[in-house]
Amino acid sequence: MNLLPGKYRYVPVLAMVFFGVAAFTPILNEPGLQQTFAVAFLFAALALTYDLLLGFTGLLSFGHALYYAAGAYGAAYAMARWDWGIIPAGIFAMVFATLIALFTGATALRVKGIAFAMVTLAFAEAGHVIAVLNMWGLSNGDQTLQLNFDSVPDFFLGVNNTRNLYLLALVTLILIYVAVWWLTQSSMGRVLQALRDNEERVSVLGLKPFNFKLIAFVLAGVMAAFVGVIAVIVTNNANPVMGSTQTTISLLLMVILGGIATRWGAVIGGLIYVVLSQRLTTLDTQGALSGLPEWIGGPMSEPAFILGVIFILVVMFSPGGIAGALYRLRMKFGSSVK
Amino acid sequence: MEIFITLFITGFGLGALYFLVASGLSLIYGLMGVLNFAHGAFLTAGAYATWYFTTSIRADGSLSSYVISLFIAGVVGALFAVATEQILIKYLYDRHIDQALVTVGLGFVATSAYLGWFGSDPLIVLPPTQLYNTVQIGDAFVGIDRFLYIGVAALVLIANFLMMRYTRIGLIIRAGVENRSMVTALGIDVRKAFTFVFFIGGFAAGLGGALATTYASGVGPTLGDAFLIYAFITVVIGGMGSVPGTAIAAIVVGTTQVLVNYYVQGLGDFVVVMLLALVLLVRPQGLLGKVAH
Amino acid sequence: MTSNAAIRVSDLSLAIGGAKIVDGVTLEVKPGELLGVIGPNGAGKTSLFNLISGLRPATRGNIYLGDDDITNESPASRASKGLGRTFQTSSVFTLLPVLENVRLAAEAAMGGSMKITRRAYSFKPAIAKAEEALNAVGLSDKRFTPAGALSHGDKRRLEIAIVLASDAKVVMLDEPMAGMSVENVPVLTEIIRSLSRDYGRTVLMVEHHMHVVLGLADRIAVMHQGELLICADPQTVISDPTVQSAYLGESL
Repeated sequence: MNLLPGKYRYVPVLAMVFFGVAAFTPILNEPGLQQTFAVAFLFAALALTYDLLLGFTGLLSFGHALYYAAGAYGAAYAMARWDWGIIPAGIFAMVFATLIALFTGATALRVKGIAFAMVTLAFAEAGHVIAVLNMWGLSNGDQTLQLNFDSVPDFFLGVNNTRNLYLLALVTLILIYVAVWWLTQSSMGRVLQALRDNEERVSVLGLKPFNFKLIAFVLAGVMAAFVGVIAVIVTNNANPVMGSTQTTISLLLMVILGGIATRWGAVIGGLIYVVLSQRLTTLDTQGALSGLPEWIGGPMSEPAFILGVIFILVVMFSPGGIAGALYRLRMKFGSSVK
Repeated sequence: MEIFITLFITGFGLGALYFLVASGLSLIYGLMGVLNFAHGAFLTAGAYATWYFTTSIRADGSLSSYVISLFIAGVVGALFAVATEQILIKYLYDRHIDQALVTVGLGFVATSAYLGWFGSDPLIVLPPTQLYNTVQIGDAFVGIDRFLYIGVAALVLIANFLMMRYTRIGLIIRAGVENRSMVTALGIDVRKAFTFVFFIGGFAAGLGGALATTYASGVGPTLGDAFLIYAFITVVIGGMGSVPGTAIAAIVVGTTQVLVNYYVQGLGDFVVVMLLALVLLVRPQGLLGKVAH
Repeated sequence: MTSNAAIRVSDLSLAIGGAKIVDGVTLEVKPGELLGVIGPNGAGKTSLFNLISGLRPATRGNIYLGDDDITNESPASRASKGLGRTFQTSSVFTLLPVLENVRLAAEAAMGGSMKITRRAYSFKPAIAKAEEALNAVGLSDKRFTPAGALSHGDKRRLEIAIVLASDAKVVMLDEPMAGMSVENVPVLTEIIRSLSRDYGRTVLMVEHHMHVVLGLADRIAVMHQGELLICADPQTVISDPTVQSAYLGESL
């Protein structure tokens, strides 16, 4: 399913080119801003992998952050403790995340719907506990597992090279976008979308729902792990927050705000979410909220508060987010959706 | 052996707190199919109510102030829960995923509101001195507060049982958990029961929040979120919609967690999750649950 | 034991909490035959279909597809052996386009391993087959409409197109005419007739419209309170006194 009519198909490409070129112009020449956008690109990519589960397979997971964190910690650990280079460390991290996704996915997929959501939540929490409590000395706890600067090329290090990190994050987003696009257009991807619509019917076509859901779960996990590896390079550490339920919930917010099952909805949601979070904090430090009484100004200075309120309104009044509204319009006017 | 007794009763007490949160979750899910992610926020609201009452209104540190604060926390939790049902849930009737999402959003909003109002550092709540005492069992000394948690949870369980058995609304809830469409077909307005389960679920959670301030020696914005996850696990293990099942699961989860954590820190939390996985593999509907709908 | 039946069930039973939903049904359907299944509401017709397609496990009895005992197989493996069905309430993939609904069934039937490396639309044989099925039910002009946006009648046609494209040897249709407007019934009747006549499928059809069943079926099976009362040609069935009393509500 692609909601963009043919003539708009090149818009995402143009947007990517714009962001690529912008880093070399005064528009986006400041390291702080480049860093913000680099993080935003990574979250957009992560939201895309989450949309593959939620929007394209119909799986509501509350544990997606686990695989992101597994990727980040796996890579950071191999670099910090074994002095591995970034590439072998990244491969190790993705294999590690794949194994976790296989085991947890195969278990969680034995139940459906809300129960599935709870089980994934519990698994992710177990991972989060390991990271927070520094169990078996694996994670350094809240001290975070720092990036081993000897493991990555020099052009990714230091404030002067923030632009390179920005470009790395952008390329990551493009790679994930293409991967998710390919997946959803593939024969297998269509089965996933069919599963989302009606699982029983898929089974009477002779296809085993469990296998397909597990493939989707693991693929989304591996891609999240890849983003996690890149996140270690961009943010210089792996930290417990990466694996928290809060992270998964913010992915959920991004996908729902942008609109599920459209790909670009998740990207827009991710970008808006991260940039807005940063901007709202700035708004507060500039004193824009100082005129408000404390009882309302306090929460208003928390970006999560406003984003959460918007999220509730979207769920209640515009199911499907920005893209959902568009989709309903197109259904109404019956134009061809391919 | 002494250590085992101390740990076991501590775990039992923690289980009692889980039960207070999980019983409401379980009933709400069983009757309405709503997975309530805002339940932790109800607990936190109760906890802040206790903090406010015992530090700003009656800061005499007496046992009576504490008991009153428990009650107030329950009412605050209940009001928050009823408002949630009336303002948000009601309009998403039978849209289960959207209902869950909206409660996710509410939990998110509530946590950040607490953060804005009270700051990120935990606020200290001092329980009355009586609760610092210990009781000797054999050679073991056990904090008396543990028995308070267990006692309150037992009262809630008994009240729950009596209500389900002998009141009209309890009968409607029981029948509704069993087969909602049948109850509706009989012309009974289940929506009142919806509001009611939110009320009692919120009350129990608020009560749990007040007690949690003693267990955790204070209250921070994410107090409820920490409890919520284990309450979810408790509900799944016990079987959605079954209060007795929830009680048994709460004890199992609390004691396992505390006992194992004593030997390897953090491992208890881990083992509990594995226990959940095991239950799901062997008995997907939970200990005493009906098949999830 | 071998038989030349396309599908055969013996002593098939389903009990839920003591209630006998399907009770000892034994039935044989020959290849290419069109069997109507009728009976009052709650007679166990849809449950019988659920048992045969594997969506519910049987408490007793066996199901054979040809000579193959499929009693303990998953719905998916039964389907891949050539058992197809539709549902009482239309259950197409609502967000996918019409063509995609049918193409998926065709690809699944062609043993397409649902490759991740292949773009869905590049597998031409499945598309050709899907187009053919859509043509047969007269939905070609709506191939790019999301299935959820179809009218009720069109959804029923789409369901038929799906079983047509799926190459199922045995097709179970659960109330294909339910909720159809009067003028659409004859069109769909002809489509179902051609399923058995032109495509050689074995068809089992639950249907409430008696004139449709009488006009279509080679034989009719009557169910009542989970039991199979009689299975015979239409004339024998309508003149049978036990059938009449089952419908008129007299005790047997």
